[in-house]
Amino acid sequence: MAKESDFYQVYEVFSRRGNKAPMQHQFSLLAPNKEMAMLMAQENFMRREEVIDVWVVRQSDIRKMTSEERQGLTNRLDNKEYRTTKGYGYLRQKWKEKEQGMLDEKEIMSWREVKRK
Amino acid sequence: MSKIVETAEIARQDPSYYQALRELLFQLADDDFIISFRGSEWLGLAPHIEEDVAYSSITQNTMGHAVMYYNLLEELGEGDANFLAHDRGASDRRNGAYLEKRNGEGKYLEEPYFDWALAVVRNYFYESFKKVKLEAISTSSYKPLANVAKKVLMEHPYHFAHWKLWIKQLQTSSEEAKKRIQNRIEEAWEEFLDVLELGNYGNEMVQHQLIAIDEETIKGNWLEEVKTVLVAMPEGPLGKKYGSGRNGEHTSDLDQALGTLAEVFQSDKTAIW
Amino acid sequence: MYNYVEDGDSKTSAYMEQDQEKYEAFMTRIEAGEKIEADDWMPADYRQALIKLISMHGISEIMGALPEKEWVPKAPTLKRKLGIMAKVQDEMGHGQLLLRVAEDLMKPYGKTREDLMEDLLNGDLKFHNVFHMPTKTWADAGMVGWLVDGAAIISQTNMLDASYGPYQRALQRICQEEVFHAQHGESIIMALAEGNDYQREILQESLNRWWPALLMFFGPSSAETTGSSKQDIMINYKIRKSTNEELRQAFLSKYLPRVFSLGLTVPDETVRYDEKEEKWIYKQPDWEEFKQIIRNKGPRSKERLRVREIAYENNRWVRQALATDPVSV
Repeated sequence: MAKESDFYQVYEVFSRRGNKAPMQHQFSLLAPNKEMAMLMAQENFMRREEVIDVWVVRQSDIRKMTSEERQGLTNRLDNKEYRTTKGYGYLRQKWKEKEQGMLDEKEIMSWREVKRK
Repeated sequence: MSKIVETAEIARQDPSYYQALRELLFQLADDDFIISFRGSEWLGLAPHIEEDVAYSSITQNTMGHAVMYYNLLEELGEGDANFLAHDRGASDRRNGAYLEKRNGEGKYLEEPYFDWALAVVRNYFYESFKKVKLEAISTSSYKPLANVAKKVLMEHPYHFAHWKLWIKQLQTSSEEAKKRIQNRIEEAWEEFLDVLELGNYGNEMVQHQLIAIDEETIKGNWLEEVKTVLVAMPEGPLGKKYGSGRNGEHTSDLDQALGTLAEVFQSDKTAIW
Repeated sequence: MYNYVEDGDSKTSAYMEQDQEKYEAFMTRIEAGEKIEADDWMPADYRQALIKLISMHGISEIMGALPEKEWVPKAPTLKRKLGIMAKVQDEMGHGQLLLRVAEDLMKPYGKTREDLMEDLLNGDLKFHNVFHMPTKTWADAGMVGWLVDGAAIISQTNMLDASYGPYQRALQRICQEEVFHAQHGESIIMALAEGNDYQREILQESLNRWWPALLMFFGPSSAETTGSSKQDIMINYKIRKSTNEELRQAFLSKYLPRVFSLGLTVPDETVRYDEKEEKWIYKQPDWEEFKQIIRNKGPRSKERLRVREIAYENNRWVRQALATDPVSV
């Protein structure tokens, strides 16, 4: 029996939202070959957004910057994505009636700061 | 004769038309609903995590298709879509009997010895069939149905490609996988026929141009597709071992499915969930 | 529980001296709020703390899909069926993201996802206490979506600025999706809270059962309580910002007013907000029970692990089949 780590490879997934948009790195996944990686890519990382093109690249085929090379650069990924919460918008009014706020994106993302004792 | 029926109200005026339309819509709705129910049982149990996520999207899409058909039935006056999905007995269901088959041994909550070979063969056979049937109703005389079919067809290629790749890869891989897939193909050959059929009102469906082709043509087109993919075609004709789901003949597996999918719904039918 | 570092203490001191310069440069970067990447130099205890945290986080998402999944095929309406399916799918997706991050960290030790799965099944890799609990009614599906996820959101958002880049980026994705999860849970709860007597009854009963597990979610407030708290190292390396108790207090502050506004109660008559001390007073849960639960001795630990094991072993032939060269399509 083959060891799975010998043939499950890491694929990096990229996608493009529109003709003028750059290919954007989404994430990586494990797959046994590139056909299978392509099949998995869209639903794993872009199941809530329109894309017009998807690339999968075997991670070992990428010449990445070394740690040293990167130190000289500002390294920041643009990860601003929207999720569909439309179906639950009615909750805002319901909570308002109970004098409470709805847990929307602004509220939840503000929780990164917690009161210190 | 060529007529276009634009609304539910007009469809209701011709009893023969209405009856055939109603039957066709229940076939489409119940097929997608029961196979997506079986898909939902798989959630969390697929061979690897990435596949689990991908398969679930297909399942959600497919259930979404069922919802569109139930909504068309609701517009026709058949009742609330949720009741149509949750509150009809087995003999009222019009899905192909093979589609209700349990995912394997065990239950999704307990000892789930589900069989991926069954999932692959069933979904590939089903998506191949769905393409043929959808194309044939995309020009349906019932305009609201033709519109839904066109929408569903837009989402269908990924589903189809997904299962086609799985069956192709497994059919040409390890000896064990080949055997498991072939066994499920042979099994399906004896059980799949009623999926391809149109049931008691098939002739009326064709006469009223609700669907562009008859069941013999559906079967032929489907065979053309699977011939290109199956490494070894089973000998002998297709069968419908469990009778015709199109006419309300079903197995105890459907009772199990309905018991599960309607458990909470049935606990209080008046409640708003 | 942890066994990923077998090079032992003897090696560590020599290693530390040799790498003192690197260590100082690393800490400078941490202090400056820079992000550490997978192939950057990092001290062994940073790597180990991350592996432990993220593999447990990832595997908890995978195991956490199971209790909710019990209600996926049973959800009472078409909309609920679709909603909870998308939600549980997201949990599997979060597991995928996190395990990928953990796998990259484990690479220097020659460990893979296969090892993580085996560690889970043989009891070396723990999963979160809440996912050892039963889900008895549809209200539990709502309770998991609302309050269990709520607790998870509190602890995950606290690490949104984590010093480890890949984890921080995964959390960014995860927390964005959690907005949908929070509203999905609220929506189920709201329907039950505004529903009939039966619905309100199963809702209250569910909350009563989940309450101790929710308090336990954040772990004990100090190392003495269970003897294994790793909170200090996590804060020093800027992986998380707040202590267990601070997170629990934040959870109570965010959610208890909402719980009460729905006319629900919690099974602790001493719960109150102390204005003077500016904190919630509550009865401590049974931390001995907590220890038992995370040692896979919770009410549903065995069954959940069994389901995971069957799914893993029973499908091994599929993964193995893909080892051979597939046809081109």
